[in-house]
Amino acid sequence: MSDLQVQDPPASAPKGGLVTALTAFPRNVWDSIFRHPLPDSDLGASQTSFSNFFLHIHPVKVHRNTLRPLYTMGLGVMSFVIFLLLTITGILLMFYYVPSTTQAYDRMLDLRGSVAFGTVLRNLHRWSAHAMVAVVFLHMCRVFLTGSYKRPREFNWVIGCILLLLTLFASFTGYLLPWDQLAFWAITVGTSIAGYAPLVGKKIQFLLLGDQAVGQEALLRFYVLHVVVLPALITLLVAIHFWRIRKDGGLSRPAEADLQPDGKPLQVQIVQGNASGKQTFGLMGFVRGPFTKVGNTPDNSVYAWPNLLMAELFVFVVTVAALLLVSLFFNAPLEEPVNVLHPPNPAKAPWYFLGLQELVSYSAFWGGVGVPGIEVALLMLVPFIDRKVSGVGKWFAKERFLANTLFVTFALLNVIFIIIGTFFRGPNWAFVSPF
Amino acid sequence: MKLALAIASAIILIVHGLVFYDQFFHKWERHQTAYFDQARTQARNDAERAELSDRSPKIEQIIVTQFGDNRVDRCTTCHLAIDDPRFKDHFQPLKTHPYSAALGDVQRNGRWERRHKFTDFGCTVCHDGQGRGLETEYAHGNDEHWNDPLTGYVTQANWRKEFKTHLVGKEYMEANCAQCHTEENFPGTPHVNRGRELFFRTNCYGCHKIEGLSEGTLAPELSEAGHKFKIDYLWESIVDPRANLATSFMPKFNLSDEDVKCLVVFLKSRRGVNFAETSLARYRTRMSPAKAEITPEAVLNKAVPKAADLVSQGKQLFEDRACTACHKLGEKDGGIAPDLSFEGKLKDEEWLRDHFRTPRSRVPDSIMPAFRFSDSDFAALTAYLASQQAGAKLADGAEIFKTLCSRCHGDKGDGQGKTAYYLDPAPRDLTKRAFMNSKPDDRFIKSITDGVPGTSMPAWGKTLSDEQVHAVLGYVRTTFVKEPQRNLKAHANVPDANPTPTSKASVANGEATFLKRCAGCHGLKGDGKGPNSLDIVPRPRNLRNRWFVTTLNDRRALESILYGVQGTAMPSWIDYGLTVKDAADLLNYIRSLNPPPAPAPAAGKTIATAGTSPRGTE
Repeated sequence: MSDLQVQDPPASAPKGGLVTALTAFPRNVWDSIFRHPLPDSDLGASQTSFSNFFLHIHPVKVHRNTLRPLYTMGLGVMSFVIFLLLTITGILLMFYYVPSTTQAYDRMLDLRGSVAFGTVLRNLHRWSAHAMVAVVFLHMCRVFLTGSYKRPREFNWVIGCILLLLTLFASFTGYLLPWDQLAFWAITVGTSIAGYAPLVGKKIQFLLLGDQAVGQEALLRFYVLHVVVLPALITLLVAIHFWRIRKDGGLSRPAEADLQPDGKPLQVQIVQGNASGKQTFGLMGFVRGPFTKVGNTPDNSVYAWPNLLMAELFVFVVTVAALLLVSLFFNAPLEEPVNVLHPPNPAKAPWYFLGLQELVSYSAFWGGVGVPGIEVALLMLVPFIDRKVSGVGKWFAKERFLANTLFVTFALLNVIFIIIGTFFRGPNWAFVSPF
Repeated sequence: MKLALAIASAIILIVHGLVFYDQFFHKWERHQTAYFDQARTQARNDAERAELSDRSPKIEQIIVTQFGDNRVDRCTTCHLAIDDPRFKDHFQPLKTHPYSAALGDVQRNGRWERRHKFTDFGCTVCHDGQGRGLETEYAHGNDEHWNDPLTGYVTQANWRKEFKTHLVGKEYMEANCAQCHTEENFPGTPHVNRGRELFFRTNCYGCHKIEGLSEGTLAPELSEAGHKFKIDYLWESIVDPRANLATSFMPKFNLSDEDVKCLVVFLKSRRGVNFAETSLARYRTRMSPAKAEITPEAVLNKAVPKAADLVSQGKQLFEDRACTACHKLGEKDGGIAPDLSFEGKLKDEEWLRDHFRTPRSRVPDSIMPAFRFSDSDFAALTAYLASQQAGAKLADGAEIFKTLCSRCHGDKGDGQGKTAYYLDPAPRDLTKRAFMNSKPDDRFIKSITDGVPGTSMPAWGKTLSDEQVHAVLGYVRTTFVKEPQRNLKAHANVPDANPTPTSKASVANGEATFLKRCAGCHGLKGDGKGPNSLDIVPRPRNLRNRWFVTTLNDRRALESILYGVQGTAMPSWIDYGLTVKDAADLLNYIRSLNPPPAPAPAAGKTIATAGTSPRGTE
């Protein structure tokens, strides 16, 4: 294989004089970095992506079903793109931000007024944060409604749920940092929702705030969580999430997608370990399960380069363009500096927690702990409760009518509560009409 | 897909282009270039010209460290010529900041020298606005989220239109002068001085607290009003108190626009910080409040030249201190507190004096603040009110009711007169038949004639004849009750006098019963503010109202406990198993809550317990 050839010491290389070495210098540096030239064949493309750090996460071939735009809607890649954007803009913002109650707001003003590209950076970061919460949630809806959490993808679903929670938490911790009235009171409300948990609620609230109320300690804690702890956790879990996609056999697809042209299911030979121990296996012998075959087996897969790469590029460009446009036309909100004595009426949590705040207005326990706790627990347990494997890989499969209906109901209820909390609640949490 | 890709990529490119354009072509650069160009044409020699050509547009800033939190003022980025006298006739932003002898600037050898140098003071210390902003909108504070827009120059979009014209003018900046120039009569801040005087003169201090100036507790503290509120909000709160709080009982004072402006400037100067004093000095003043403070007495006594006799002095005070902002006297009516037109006949001087010193000593739930007037002022006011002997010539019941009663009991007799909201206990609803028909006429005649002690119901018998009292009761019965009175049978088992003599055991038993049965409405303390009281109209009786309880006769009290008060939430406790003995114990307990006052009540003591300063009472 050509892979091996490159790694061999080039026997035919000219015994270099200095001049030759100099003339070949750019070429040699380039070759040392990129072992393969830009590919002109499918094989070349496979080799290039195989030997490239950033591309090797892709399989050589990918199932046609994976590339159907309406199947995934690119939501997973979109979440990742937004996360990248947030990381980049976030790091740039860190150069200016100071997590101090006396300076944070001034730094916001500086970003808005006198730091080069400050406004657009802040806008991009802010709107991306909101977008990420929404897109990750939609991604979860997609995975559920196509039944993709079922065996063997149970664990990846659980990781996905944790990632959603981390996304919410990352967004929430970032909400405080501008240190304006909006931030201060939203976090005051948000953390007091956490305080409604029985037994540990007040302790969690204290752990988060480092004080009885939102202040310097809370700002520092939220800052560290926001810029170090949560991004690191998210990065780690995203890596596992991606890795599991490959190991769980690629994206889910309906059983009939694997049919060969003659209508028979594709036979994948599964190598079983031999107890007698007489046979020896290569590393590939340990790999089990329906992984995508490379070779001449007729199947429904296409080469990842260029098909998958183009799809990813498309999602990337569209996402970035959309967020840039939004950031150009809408400035991130910045209200009055914090005034502890002057709470706005009503003080509202960030929008994604307004559903909870609405519930809290009915019952502190159920809104603060009961409902979100049950929802999270149910979400994580779903693949272990629903063990039927039928209906995987199709939107709103008939076989999954009950599960889908339940899920849509829950999702819609959450959305409705968020809408009520956002638009229909006025001073003293009284019902108001936005029209 | 390729087309979509191309379009999206183009969008990314275009947005980047716009962002870059925005970053590299600032408005302030144009102002600076304009300044350099013009300065070059006006330059007198080559050196100046060379210096100018070395300068290129850059962000200018002054970092101010001496006045409160550090400030970063970038105003000079656009206002580049503030210290360049050649630009005194130029248009903004390149205009010279005017020189003013009044501000302490001096002219030496034909050159002005500023008293308040920009390098020390920056700009926002005096002008407010957002020092860090580089765009006009942000820098001048047009953004509605910015607390302090350029004082006196910029009004924000969401401010009320009718006030906006009042909120412009250099005099508003005096509020910032007063951050350092705290002297009482600093000549540079006439509006602050006048505002402070008005704060005392119009009796704001009676309700509002401002640290170091007043101790009122009825209304919101204003020590940091200037820091918390925008001038638009301050103006609105003075002119239209209910605009922001529908339940506010602050009166609408009859103030000229100029006076409102002075008050706004004064309040804007209250920021809770004082640049001139160190934190140590501030602590010292707080620890020894008698020193170096401006007292109401000092301001007010100086402000009013005394008239010759006591009554005209009182009249002068009465008008000067805005009493009619709440009370009614003659034509003037504040619509909040009782009519004082007949006060001389209704009240004796002792009552008036006690009530002036501590209103709650006579009407325990009164909202009238205890004003810190001097004793001689109280004497004058008392004399003036005692002189209000006007006896109205009132023909029939209808006229009497309209003149004397309807202010509190309402034109319809429903207890919703215009002052009703502010009175505690609230005026009786005379249309409630259940109540009106369950009490004998004697009781009503007595209430009208002798008044109800401890409440705002005065003893009308002092100005009305018996016939008139009967006439007005007759009017009430025919007009509001509209139901023939039933023949009332006295409850035979209710004794006329409390059958159980007061004793420790009886009081203890009464207390136990009270806590079990009565505290829900009348409150644990018996003050009528129990947890259920909020939902009850009329409100549960305050049983710690000494004047009411001591004059309440045993029979009425026992009857109310045992058989309830019809038309109110007070139930008939005999139906819930209370015996006459229990009621008697309860009555003993209630009476024990209201011990008779010490034989010779010391004025000083009463005042001290009411939380006012004992100064000048000896």
